[in-house]
Amino acid sequence: MTGFRAFFGKEVAETLHTWRIWVLPGFLLFSAVTAPLFTYFMPTLVDVLGGQGSGLSIQVPDPTAAAAYVEFLGNLTELVMLALVIAYGGIVSSEVRSGTGALTLTKPISRSAFVLAKWLSQLVVIAVAGVAATAICIGVTAALLGVGPAAALAAAAGLWFAFAALLLSVMVLLSVALRAPAAASGAGVGVYISLAVLGQFPLVSDASPAGLTSAGVALVLGEPTVWVAPLLTAVAACAVLLAAGLWLFSRREI
Amino acid sequence: MVAESLPVGSPWTIALLAVLVAVELGLLVWALVDLARRPAAQVTGGNRLIWLLLCLLVQLVGPILYLATGRVRAQTAAATTDRDHVPAAADALANERLAWAAAPFYGATGASGDRSAAPATGGAAVELSAVRKVFGQTAALDGLSLSVPEGSVFGFLGPNGAGKTTTLRILAGLARPTTGSARVLGHEAGGADTRTFIGYLPDVPAFYKWMTAAQYLRFAGRLFGLEGAALETRVAALLELADLRDVKTHIGGYSRGMKQRLGLAQALVNTPRLLLLDEPTSALDPIGRREVLDMIAALRGRTTVFFSTHILADVERVCDTVAIIDRGRVIEQAGIDDLRGRRGGLNRLVVEVDDPARLAAALTGQTWLRSLAPHESGGLSLSVDDLATAQRELPALIAHSGLALQRLESDELSLEDVFVDLVGKGRP
Repeated sequence: MTGFRAFFGKEVAETLHTWRIWVLPGFLLFSAVTAPLFTYFMPTLVDVLGGQGSGLSIQVPDPTAAAAYVEFLGNLTELVMLALVIAYGGIVSSEVRSGTGALTLTKPISRSAFVLAKWLSQLVVIAVAGVAATAICIGVTAALLGVGPAAALAAAAGLWFAFAALLLSVMVLLSVALRAPAAASGAGVGVYISLAVLGQFPLVSDASPAGLTSAGVALVLGEPTVWVAPLLTAVAACAVLLAAGLWLFSRREI
Repeated sequence: MVAESLPVGSPWTIALLAVLVAVELGLLVWALVDLARRPAAQVTGGNRLIWLLLCLLVQLVGPILYLATGRVRAQTAAATTDRDHVPAAADALANERLAWAAAPFYGATGASGDRSAAPATGGAAVELSAVRKVFGQTAALDGLSLSVPEGSVFGFLGPNGAGKTTTLRILAGLARPTTGSARVLGHEAGGADTRTFIGYLPDVPAFYKWMTAAQYLRFAGRLFGLEGAALETRVAALLELADLRDVKTHIGGYSRGMKQRLGLAQALVNTPRLLLLDEPTSALDPIGRREVLDMIAALRGRTTVFFSTHILADVERVCDTVAIIDRGRVIEQAGIDDLRGRRGGLNRLVVEVDDPARLAAALTGQTWLRSLAPHESGGLSLSVDDLATAQRELPALIAHSGLALQRLESDELSLEDVFVDLVGKGRP
């Protein structure tokens, strides 16, 4: 694919040189540290707050490593995903709007390479940050609460990564289709909420990407779950969304 | 299988995990072995440590990424280490691309601006045939046709909104004609192969603000397949050319003129056969403008330069051929001298005598006289077929008629006169 390597390198360098580095990795690392801490101090917090109240007694289970992992996964699913949707609203369109894309695309880089390099570079950023955050979460949890089901957390993080890849693909398509980054982000939030709602229905959840996040939590808790179908459908959806984005971008005037 | 709940330790789960782990481990081993055996020069960026970390840290994606993009093909690597030798086994297009990329980009013909320099091949670098481009209800281009000879410096003139930028965007592959045909160097405009041979500078070039000029030029060069020493040599020369060698700040802090110069430098990074420039001098001060025009003139005969402008003095200074466009149509295309001559400009004389009516009568029957008209000065304006003969015989004729010669001079039409005359015709 002509020009892919050069443009991919530019995208990675741009992530490191600009504010983008602080968004997703920042949220991920923040969650990795705060989730175990929050879980560890939760009984104390409740105790302190309860003591100041009207005498209402709240029973909080003893903090465990698994609970910290679940808290971490919850943050990944909500906080980080919303950050992803907002940060990548202009993943393609911002270059077209600013005019930098015009200079690049008059050189021998194919439009497919242009879009794929953007997608893959951000996927790498998410993967690197995700691996680092998971490792940090396991480390901090081990220090505070002992070693939990780390392998299950790693598997759950893998499922979360698939979900992130899916949302990134959604954002690529939306950013190609809608010229305004804010409009793409708004539509992305809509897709995210739709997936969250669909995830509440077992039939849909078990056979679509909507079940990825709940499957991750179940893995950590050692509960039976369905994750193969959600994973496969997520991969297929990524391929379809990217193909649609590439097709649309190849026809678009810059 | 997938419809049922799978406990973590079920045989299906274990089998799937085993397959995934086997694939991942296989790719990891393949990538690591390749990385260890491959010379550093054949690894992208030459940095094996980064790839090693990426493969080890990023599950599955890292090895795939390295295997797909991190390895320089042997043929390309050979070209990287010795850019003077074009790979013999490459296809014709790749050979041509490398040859162009390795060629010197500037100065071979000097900055004389000699319009007699011969075009490269004599073929057409740009051919537009009945191109129509419609935006909603508005036709930006309305059956535009023109042909630009290869190696020429071609001025594309027109008032604001005439369709100049749209035409350039079509040639650069950023837009497509609604109908009609646009061909660049014999190929349909916009293809990746065609873009290998063109350089493009938009009217307001936009760059990645976090980069320096050198970083941007390196990035642009890499998009054309330049690497290693060849790339660094080209970047250094272009920085010198753009007078940005000592500027170390990020592009975000550049003035408009600096960005314009950088824009021109990036358009030359691939030694283009066709240089498309949209209003290249509009943001420059007089000195910068002169430098850019000298540079364009120096490219004559080696590179076809197609530049749009509304600064007629620029066109007169460097162009061989011009096309004047208005409302999406070419209303005139010719060599500059031809254009002025065709409209009676080159062979026009203004003569003032004490009795113009008697002179008009005396001129009747002169074979070198094409037409005669009153001039705004009160004298006569003569269009002549043979200027030298007219200049030789006219004073004698005046003297023979007993008239007193007060003024005799050639009155060349400027390009501006031609432009205003042509464009003004269609205006209310």
